[in-house]
This record gives sequence, structure tokens and C-alpha cells, in this order.
Amino acid sequence: MENFQSLLHGFTIALSLQHLALMVVGVLLGILVGVLPGLGAPNGVSLLLPLTFGMQPVSAIILLSSMYWGALFGGSVTSILFNIPGEPSSVATTFDGYPMAREGKSTTALATAFGSAAFGALVGVILITFLASWVAQVALAFGPAEYFAVYFLAFASFVGMGGAAPMKTVVALAIGFAIAAIGIDTVSGSVRLTMGVDELVKGVSFVVAVMGLFGIGELLIAVEEDIHARAVSSRIDWREVFRAVARLPKHGTALLRSAAIGCWMGITPGGPTAASFMSYGIAKRFSRRGRYFGSGEVEGIIAPETADHAAGTSALLPMLSLGIPGSATAAVMMGGLMIWGLNPGPMLFIDQKDFVWGLIASMYVGNIVAVVLVLLTVPVFAALMRIPFVVIAPLIVIVCAVGAYSVSNSYLDVVLMLGFGVVGYLFKKLSYPLAPLVLAIVIGDKAEDAFRQSMLMSKGSLAIFFDNRLVTSLVVAGFALLLLPLALQVLRLLRGDADTSGEKVRII
Amino acid sequence: MISRRALETATAVLTGSFGLAVIVSSLDNGIGWGSDGVDAGTFPFITGVIILAGSLYNLLRGLSGIGVAISRTDLRRIAGLFVPAAMFVGAIPFAGMYLASAGYIFGVLALPKHRSLPRALIIALATPLALYIVFERMFQVSLPHGGLAAALGY
Repeated sequence: MENFQSLLHGFTIALSLQHLALMVVGVLLGILVGVLPGLGAPNGVSLLLPLTFGMQPVSAIILLSSMYWGALFGGSVTSILFNIPGEPSSVATTFDGYPMAREGKSTTALATAFGSAAFGALVGVILITFLASWVAQVALAFGPAEYFAVYFLAFASFVGMGGAAPMKTVVALAIGFAIAAIGIDTVSGSVRLTMGVDELVKGVSFVVAVMGLFGIGELLIAVEEDIHARAVSSRIDWREVFRAVARLPKHGTALLRSAAIGCWMGITPGGPTAASFMSYGIAKRFSRRGRYFGSGEVEGIIAPETADHAAGTSALLPMLSLGIPGSATAAVMMGGLMIWGLNPGPMLFIDQKDFVWGLIASMYVGNIVAVVLVLLTVPVFAALMRIPFVVIAPLIVIVCAVGAYSVSNSYLDVVLMLGFGVVGYLFKKLSYPLAPLVLAIVIGDKAEDAFRQSMLMSKGSLAIFFDNRLVTSLVVAGFALLLLPLALQVLRLLRGDADTSGEKVRII
Repeated sequence: MISRRALETATAVLTGSFGLAVIVSSLDNGIGWGSDGVDAGTFPFITGVIILAGSLYNLLRGLSGIGVAISRTDLRRIAGLFVPAAMFVGAIPFAGMYLASAGYIFGVLALPKHRSLPRALIIALATPLALYIVFERMFQVSLPHGGLAAALGY
């Protein structure tokens, strides 16, 4: 009941005129970055970040999270109309969305996608509403050892369930940690890993990494694949919108199952991309019409879209209550929280009630705003896709350069950004996952601090990680996830299957 | 033309040498248990070791890669995007963000004749103007003006 009251209070914050306006702006910008190839939700949110420093934290987070919702929806628009996933997490939507649109049923495909996406998001928000403050309460009792164990569990789940080659995930994670360590060490005050470059003392911001990895890297991939927008009709038939949405309840099981997969992957954190692929795969296996998947099947749109949005939304749960972001974009937002002077984690629910519940309430409202706006603006943004890539690409390069520079007014950051772009291209090309890298950059210092504090408490003995039942089970679960890919491979060998499934899914 | 095997190995060597650099650099900060707890270099040292070990594993796996990763035409397209972008970034300290971006857009659009001259000129002038309005005016974020502007007294 207390949650409900807090939520009502949150609505009084979220429903102010100023915040509604911010939601509209955020969603529109989000759809824009979602539609444009090369710019995605992590980039968009990082770009806006320096512009929010003068705002109230609650207004800033409403703007950024609305942009996230917009980007999730925008990514589906291009997937369905152009067969070009605007966001990595909407790749699975192209499998059935585009074939359906090509049959002349683009309105049906879009409405089905948005309807199930909204449902997924709703389930995610409801989960946050009821679970977040409870998780935060539990986490209040955490000491540094428990925190380190939770971080360890989060990273282990990337390795075990992320879908990319496990050792590539491990390398990506460790690189992120090393980058996080560059600069002044917060504990001892000594300068680390600058490798002789004095300007690196300030460290490498995650924004710089995101601009390069996701922005430039994505552009290089896009130019290589030489995408051409072959659009199907982008006209919206409003009656068909309502009819398509009315048909959704018939697919109740698919909706619920996909939402559950999404929430699980969002919280654990596997991220929206892995969630949408997993949900699509499972739906294909369990649906009676599984054979027809890939030729414009309704459940082939419902499954990835619901899971994508459920994961995207619930990724904010561990960010708010534990300080562990569930996706790359959530990681960027969490970086923002820290810059605004807030401390992500359980104390937010005590010190910053307005912030937390304002955000949660805004997620309900923001998603409604997003559905309405995206339906209204489909033709506008579809027209945007007809601007040739040669014009868009240099503009995005400039935007990324400006974004990297504006973090700390440093030219070195722009050069680093370009370097990250090359790394981003190589990693994407070779299926190294990027999200764990960004996550590790954002929370690397916190994980390290937790480790060093626990070591101080135990005077250097690792036994502290097996001190009580809670911390032991977290650590054991982490190790189990780390060993999961190995166990699966052994199992496969025993059954005599060839190892071919390792890199089937291109995970961001 | 770049084979998948070459690309996998090159990337593994790249990540591995970063790992090695991290290890060497972290040794300066000291590793292990010091008078005031875990030494500053310990954590980076461990990550460096993990990066190096993981890269070695990926290197060995990458050797069995087959097929072409980047074809010649792919490579040309990638260079066509990346080389001008790198030149743009290289020009920023001298020409400043505004001049460099205008030149970059104009060069990319007009020189390979993707767009007619007037059109390229309009986009090239509109971009820095939009940057100026959004950043310098609306959000008071100063972008680099460059050595050229400084020499002219701006």
C-alpha cells in the first residue's frame, strides 16, 4: 500500500506540464536516434547528458528515460518498414515485421509491434513499482562484500547468458574495467594506467566510449553493409491500428511468456538485445505456427517486441535499487545519476523519494506518450530515412565528435572517440559484445571499491566472500553462470553435436 | 580483402597488447597487499591478466576462422567513411569545430559529386550554424574555435 501511495505522489510530479513537455521532447528525440542508423539509445542519451547538468535530477531523468522509450519504438519502425534495424535490440523484429509489411500490411505490423511493446513495457514498470523498493530494502543490509558479490553475479550473467562467445565477453568486460581504472585512484590518490599521457589523469568518460563504440562503430558497419532504404508504404490506417491491437489478447500466452523473458533478461542483466532474440527463438519453438515464422507471422513480431521493451524497462530496476544497470543505456543513465550527485542504489529510495517515484510514474506516462507519438509520426520519420546515407553519415560523425568533446572540453576525448569507433567496428564485426564493456566502464570503480573495502574488512582474506549465507549463494550463483557455457559445451560434446551454435546470434 | 582469420587474430593481438600494457603499467602502482589495504595496482593487474589470457584464447580460436570478413569493395566503402572522418578530427585543433565540420561536410558531399555544389554548400553552412545555436547559445557549451580563429583574434 505504501508503494501505491508513493506512486500516486510520483504521478503528481510526472504529470506537471513541464515534465509532460520534456517527455514529448525526449520521445521525439528518441524516435529520431532510434530511426537513424548509427545513432542509438546509448548515444542519444549520452549526447543529451551534458545538456541536463543544469536541470533538476528528476526532470533530467524523465527527459533521458523518455528518450530511451522513444528510441526503443523508433528502432522497430525502421525494422518493419525498411528491414533496417534502427537499434540492435530490434533486429529480431525484422524477421517477421518486414515480410508482413511487404505484403501491404505495414499498419498491422506496426500496430502489433507497438501494442505488444507497450504491453512489455507495462509489465516491466509494474514489476519495478512493486519490486524495486523491496529489493532496495534488502540491499540496505548489504556490506561491501555483498555488493561485490552482486557485481560479480551481474558480470557473470553477461558471460553465461549474453549469447556472445563467452571468452569474448570476458575480454570485453575486463577491458571495460581497465578503462574504468584509468586516471586517479579514488582510494589511494595515485595515478593509474595513464601510460605517459598526462591528460588521461582525468580518466576516460563512458560517454566518449559510447560515442565511439556505438556511434562510429555502427556507422562503419552500416556503410559496409551498404544499406538501401527500400521502403514499403508508411501510411497509417487508423481503423486497422485499433483492430490489430484488439487482436492482441488472442496471443495472451505469447505476450506473457515474452514479457517474462524480457523482465528476467532485463534484471539479470542480459539486456534487451539478448532478450528479443531469446524470446523469438522460444516463440518459434513453442508456437503452433512456428513453421511459418519468418514469413510475416504475428507472434514473430509480438515475441521480440514484448521482450525488448520489457527488458529495456526492467533494466532500470537493478539500476535504481542496487546501482547495477541492466543494459548499456541504463548504464549511461546511471553515469548521469552519479554526475548529478545522486548515489544510485538503495539509499535513493530513502533520500530521493521524489526522484525515484517521479521516475517510476513517468515511465507509465512516458510509454503512453511514446505509443501515441510514434504512431502519429511514422510517416515523418519514414521520410527521414529517404535522406541518403552519404549525407547522414558525416552529420552523425560530427554529432559524435561534439558529444565526446562536450563531456570535459578536451580534444583528446575526440581522438579517443575515433579510436573507440575502430574498436567498436572490430568488436561488432567479430561478435564481441559491447554492452558489458560500457557497463564495466560505468561501474568498474564501484566494483573495485567494494572489493578493496571487503579486503580491508577481512584483512586480505578472500574468505569474506563466503562469510554468510547470502554472500556465499551470490558468489556460487556467479560461478555457476560463468561455468554455464562450459557445461553446455561439454553436454553438447557428450551428445556428439558439432559446436556450431556459438556465434549464431550477433549480440551487441 | 581481409580474411576472417586475419581480422580475428589482429583484434586478439590488439586486445592482448592492451592487456599487456595494463599489466606493465599497473606494476608501477604496486600490486598485492600493502600497508593500507589492497595496493592501487592490484585490480588493474588482475584485469590485465584476464585480458591477456582471454586474448590468447581468442587468438587460438581465431586461427581456425574461415572465409572473408571484409571484401575489397567493403574495405573501400569503410575507408570512404573513415578517412574523411579522421581528417575532420585531425583538423579540429587547427580549424576549430565549426570550420572543420563545414569543410568536412562540403568535402564529403561535393568532391565525389554526391550532391550538386549549391546543395552541398547549403548543408555545409547549415551544420555549423545549427551547432552554434544549439551548443554555444542554448546550452552554453563552448566548442573548440581552433588555432586559426585564435590567430585571427576570436
